[in-house]
Amino acid sequence: MIKRTGILVGVLLICFNTFGSPVSKVSSWPEIYADELFHITEVMVTDVASPPVAARIYAYTNLASFLVIEGSTESFRYPEFLPFTYLEDQNFDNSNLSSPEFAAIYAMLLVGEKIMPSGYLLKEKMQEWESFGLKEKLLKKKELDIHISTAKKVADWVISVASKDGYLQLSTLTRYSPTKEKGRWYPTPPAYIAAIEPEWKTIKPFFLQDLDPFDPEEMAPFNLSQGSSFRSQLDEIIEVTSNLTEEEQLIANFWDCNPFMVDVTGHMAIGIKKISPGGHWMGITGIAAEMEDLSFAETAYIHTLVGMTLHDAFISCWKAKYETDRIRPETVINEELDRTWRPLLQTPPFPEYTSGHSVISRASAIILTNYFGDNFDFLDTSEIYFGLPEREFQSFLQASEEAAISRLYGGIHFRDAIEEGVKQGEKIGEYIWANLEK
Amino acid sequence: MPALNPSIRINKWIYSILAFLISFESGMAQENSSPLFKELNPRKLKIGFKNNLREDEQNNILRYEYFYNGAGVAIGDLDNDGLNDIFFTSNMSSNEVYKNLGEWRFEDMTKKAGIAGKKSWTTGVAMVDINADGWLDIYVSYSGKGDVESRRNELWINQKDFTFLDEAKEYGLDDPSNSTQALFFDYDRDGDLDMYLLNHHIEVITEIEFDQARGVRHPYAGDKLYRNDNGKFIDVSEAARIKGNALGFGLGVVSSDVNDDGWPDLLVTNDYIEPDYLYINQKDGTFEDKTTEYFQHISHFSMGADISDINNDGLVDIYTLDMLPEDNERQKLLYGPENYEQYALMVERGFYHQNMRNMLQLNQGDGLFSEIGQMAKISNTDWSWSALFFDANNDGNKDLLVTNGYYRDYTNRDFLKYKGDYYFKQAVANEKADTLHLVTSMTSTPVSNYIFESNGDLTFTDRTEDWNIDKPGFSSGAAYADLDNDGDLDLVINNLNEPPGIYENQSKGSNYLTIKLKEDSQNPFAVGSRAKITYGKNQQILDLQPVRGFQSSVPPVLHFGLGDEEKIETIEITWPDGSIQKLSDVGINQILEIEKSTSTSSALAESQKTIFTAAEAPNYSSGVVGFNDFKRQPLMISMPSYIAPVMAKADLDGDGNLEVYFGGTKGTPAEIKTLKDGKWIDYSGFKGDSYYTDAVARFADVNGDGMMDLFVGSGGFHDYISSDEGLVDRLYINQNGNLELSTDFPDYKFSTGTAEFVDVNRDGNPDLVVGARMLPGRYPEIPTSQILLNDGSGNFSVSDGLLPSGGKIGMVSSSIVIDANSDGFDDVILAGEFMAPTFLINTGSALEDQTEKYLDQDLSGWWGSLAKGDFDGDGDEDFLAGNFGLNSQFVANEAKRLKLYSADFDQNGSIDPILECYVEDEAYPFPSRDELLDQMVSMRSKFTDYASYSTAKMEDLFSQEELEKAQVLTAATLESYYLENTPEGFKATPLPKLLQAFPIYSILPIDVNRDGNLDFIAGGNQNFTRIRIGMIDAGFGMVTLGDGKGNFNVLKPNESGITIKGDIKSTIALENDSLVLFGVSQGPIESYKIND
Repeated sequence: MIKRTGILVGVLLICFNTFGSPVSKVSSWPEIYADELFHITEVMVTDVASPPVAARIYAYTNLASFLVIEGSTESFRYPEFLPFTYLEDQNFDNSNLSSPEFAAIYAMLLVGEKIMPSGYLLKEKMQEWESFGLKEKLLKKKELDIHISTAKKVADWVISVASKDGYLQLSTLTRYSPTKEKGRWYPTPPAYIAAIEPEWKTIKPFFLQDLDPFDPEEMAPFNLSQGSSFRSQLDEIIEVTSNLTEEEQLIANFWDCNPFMVDVTGHMAIGIKKISPGGHWMGITGIAAEMEDLSFAETAYIHTLVGMTLHDAFISCWKAKYETDRIRPETVINEELDRTWRPLLQTPPFPEYTSGHSVISRASAIILTNYFGDNFDFLDTSEIYFGLPEREFQSFLQASEEAAISRLYGGIHFRDAIEEGVKQGEKIGEYIWANLEK
Repeated sequence: MPALNPSIRINKWIYSILAFLISFESGMAQENSSPLFKELNPRKLKIGFKNNLREDEQNNILRYEYFYNGAGVAIGDLDNDGLNDIFFTSNMSSNEVYKNLGEWRFEDMTKKAGIAGKKSWTTGVAMVDINADGWLDIYVSYSGKGDVESRRNELWINQKDFTFLDEAKEYGLDDPSNSTQALFFDYDRDGDLDMYLLNHHIEVITEIEFDQARGVRHPYAGDKLYRNDNGKFIDVSEAARIKGNALGFGLGVVSSDVNDDGWPDLLVTNDYIEPDYLYINQKDGTFEDKTTEYFQHISHFSMGADISDINNDGLVDIYTLDMLPEDNERQKLLYGPENYEQYALMVERGFYHQNMRNMLQLNQGDGLFSEIGQMAKISNTDWSWSALFFDANNDGNKDLLVTNGYYRDYTNRDFLKYKGDYYFKQAVANEKADTLHLVTSMTSTPVSNYIFESNGDLTFTDRTEDWNIDKPGFSSGAAYADLDNDGDLDLVINNLNEPPGIYENQSKGSNYLTIKLKEDSQNPFAVGSRAKITYGKNQQILDLQPVRGFQSSVPPVLHFGLGDEEKIETIEITWPDGSIQKLSDVGINQILEIEKSTSTSSALAESQKTIFTAAEAPNYSSGVVGFNDFKRQPLMISMPSYIAPVMAKADLDGDGNLEVYFGGTKGTPAEIKTLKDGKWIDYSGFKGDSYYTDAVARFADVNGDGMMDLFVGSGGFHDYISSDEGLVDRLYINQNGNLELSTDFPDYKFSTGTAEFVDVNRDGNPDLVVGARMLPGRYPEIPTSQILLNDGSGNFSVSDGLLPSGGKIGMVSSSIVIDANSDGFDDVILAGEFMAPTFLINTGSALEDQTEKYLDQDLSGWWGSLAKGDFDGDGDEDFLAGNFGLNSQFVANEAKRLKLYSADFDQNGSIDPILECYVEDEAYPFPSRDELLDQMVSMRSKFTDYASYSTAKMEDLFSQEELEKAQVLTAATLESYYLENTPEGFKATPLPKLLQAFPIYSILPIDVNRDGNLDFIAGGNQNFTRIRIGMIDAGFGMVTLGDGKGNFNVLKPNESGITIKGDIKSTIALENDSLVLFGVSQGPIESYKIND
């Protein structure tokens, strides 16, 4: 925040309306939006939010900002998406707000505060946001109360929706027990972390009223005999990972997005953290919004739509993962072929089929492509904080293709989980977007 | 965080000062008020040694994993002037030797002795007379990241003028391994000393490399055995079957004759994942690792160790150290999520059952050990290095010193989970991350060593403060020795970055005997001998083996404390070659030198006749349950699914041969078998159903047709849901020998705990009292126990109102029928988890709770079994009550009750059971932070890190109102008891200590030795607990003899002949009590018969 403020001052234009009272007009709302959303990402990194949990948090936090700003715009570029969800549109009144943008960000942070374990860390960010709003004259001091109370009203509603989506019931369900059957998933080294969110399919999706149609095609059955599809895919992983080019290694690392890689040295263990796959696509959304210089309302619109798509895509993918309960390449290779083999990336702690990154990257890319258009060149800087260079893409779809195949380079997925995952994500993305074009 | 612990310690100091003042003022004898040990100022003794660590870019924990392990100390008389001299190793600086001038004055002889050693990472030290000239030489071990030359160990040959020359190379002992410690012993009994070299790896072995690493001998990390061939030492490791893989992070080595066959065995303790090795000498130049055969579970991150007979029964016991802290805060900072899959995988891959705490393996003879460290109260001593058993107060029982401390709070969970943020934050701030900075910024918490006084009853009392050993610091190697020749053992402890701790033993008034052994051989100090002294009914044994504890050695003499004993009747020396020499009527309070005589006898093999021998067992196995109940209710303590098999007996077809019912569990149907002429035959008149889990089986003639009918109570947890048909109890009516399921039996549904046939309404028909245990998935909700009245034709109906509290009596698991008030009518006692034995008195129309009339203390506990019998021969019925026992982290007494709070605190539809238990003097929630957060989402934002949870109490978790609304169950004792029927009620006396070492789930009262006094067999153990609690498996089916007066004596397995490993769930006696069947969880029925 502090780092960016300096830049913001330069792009802030102060206008006066006909009544002479100051109304801020910020030229770079997408950048501000992305910065504020990144505060939420930072808390997720601290809390080690798992990939599906992270997507849920992105969905609800963005939703709050969208609900505040929704009423301040005559029309959006594309139709409203809320009618196609199970949510009832609330039409929160923001007409009495001098800066609905201010309230929207505030509501986003409020939801983040409530929905994340270490959400209290956002309190400081909310105070900074207040100071920013006053300093940049987005609103007057006496208007603070009404903005904040509106933000709270919206945030409360979002939280009440979130509290009924099945998340709080997860801890009441019997925990998944991995079996030692051939071909089934079992926790992986080095930390043997327990299966992440095995009952995620019980969480309510926004768009996908029925999950079954989005199930992936059958995976190749576990079969180690030469010539079987499974065996060929297994051999492919060994082949590919033993001959990785520098570029392929870079690709694998660029899309790693492992929120918690455990680095063990004797008694000492450190968790090395990264943003989740959802966080990466939120980053891309922000970059595109900034490049297009979207209005605040459009920025909130596309972030929310991508956030909700991510959430639905994770639910669909996680359903497949625990229904198929497929073994990870690392486990089967260590057990059957080479006990010293190790993937480039640390194997994530959940079953293999389908590849989550493939599903959610494709679904997000479909939404972004439909919104921003194909052949949208962009420079992806999302991973800079995690020690990885920026990377250029010609289109969202290209980025999603790369994210998908990166899992093969990383040695953590079979090809069918990637390819079927891409199809699964495509189906989800197209289904959601089709609503808007009806 | 770092400030908290020292402040606790400081408060303790203040407290002990206050205690001192109070005792002084109350005029107590001066002798009692001066602590046993006095800490001496090393500088005043002219001991300037200090093991200083310099932490920099080149030398740090990231480059060398064992950077903070500390150094060692060896004590011995180097100049044969009758005074013990001290040698210290220093990790990074020169080693130092101090000549004892007497009267607590020392002289630094390092320079003159020429013994400072090379500038390499120095570890352990041992004094040994390697050339048999009667002068102690010194072997120093090296490790570190340097080259091969820098690591070659040194052997300093005593030149008899306090100078030494390194001749390691000449002897073939300049080994360049990464050594921890050398131990000298005569493993092949050829008369000279051989050497075991304990080594460790200096590279991190990641999990994935385990299997590969295990198969390969590592040249520098693997341990080595050197055989002494006329003064040349030859590496015979491979031929001797010594493991040498890189996974062995050896931190402790001790030698003793563990199995009493006259040959020295070896214990090697390994840090990290590699199990310890218990090498049993095969008498042919080889060893065999019998760890998994002798021990049922072991320390995980094993460190130092000692072997000594702690209970004076003539068998040596084994103690290994680990790193579990004593206080709640440090425990909570340490415990992460319980990972059952990882645990199972490690066990499957041969890493055995390992738990992070000190283990005391009590020798039960014949290679059986009962791990009782927690009951002994010596299991939690934090990050511990040296363990030394010695008789500190000369009272005849061996006390225990444990040194501990680690320079960085390495295992702090917040470090794992949140310090990773450091990299991220540095990246956001566009600054370079510096991992060394991360490590050196870790907190450092000095902790106090421990000293424990033996109570002589398998338990110890922490005397750290009383005996003045409580200065916080980071201690490593240690040795005991009589430095001032006043007949008691003083202590020398090597510390990190501080001067050594030197403690003068100020004991007064107790007798002692010090024995020096001498033989004219290549082993003049007779290392490897064992001395046994006897006086009255007492005996003590000591092994002469100087290397013990950690990286250190003690003088080659034996020190016996004698208390007020004035006379030793016999001394028996077993020399290293196995020959035995006996002396009698020996004077005390002296240093007795015993020279090996030419007339020795050889050991006689004793063969002991046991009471029982194994007999042909019926072919029935209760089957594998396969459920992990913690996946369903993560906050339970043990798994309630594991109750099978139950047993019951009756003659079903009237042919004079008994049938035995073997209860099933879900997936494995029950069976009935007939015992006919000593053979087991399947009984055709019954077919079990694999859907049920049998919790109780009772035979009775319910319809008066003269045939025995069968009631089976359905229990278990498994995946039974509340409306599950699998929870319905069953009645089988005997139709000409065929048991047919009654279709109109009441279909109440809960997990049944127990049941008894009792004529409740005195109409002459057996009614049923059914004890309800739990509602699967709703633990610890109290279900409604039932009375089912019998109309005389076997029709049972639920009758409300006949039980107290509407039937909500508790989580009932056990019962007996007893005429408690001697009115001629059967009463019932029920017991279970979080309840007291409850006396339900038969009033003729109902059962009334009159517990208060019969018990004068709160006996709420975690009861698992009841059994009645006349144990004091007075004609009335007494009973035994089996509880959870004392061998766990839990404590419970009337002042420190266990409390189980439960409610749906977060209102998400699931019961949240939160156990509160005492750790030291305060009560805390039992769950680890991960466990709590997994159960309750709301706690995730309440305790965002481990530090905030580490001091949390129940009031920090919940509001006063929430706690008041919650169901609260309490337990005031975990001990198992004998309850004697007296006119004033039932008098409760705890059963002997060995029976407190495991949960008792089955008690069979029979007269085992046919002396007319009732004995019993107690079976139990609990192997299905949380990983953190670990397996409790000290019982083997313990035969306990009664003297007919209410006193009991527990036999060792090698006396009783019963050696069952595993969880005994049921026991029955057949053939006039001469044949006993044991129902063992997850395994086949075991059968034992009494020897004629």
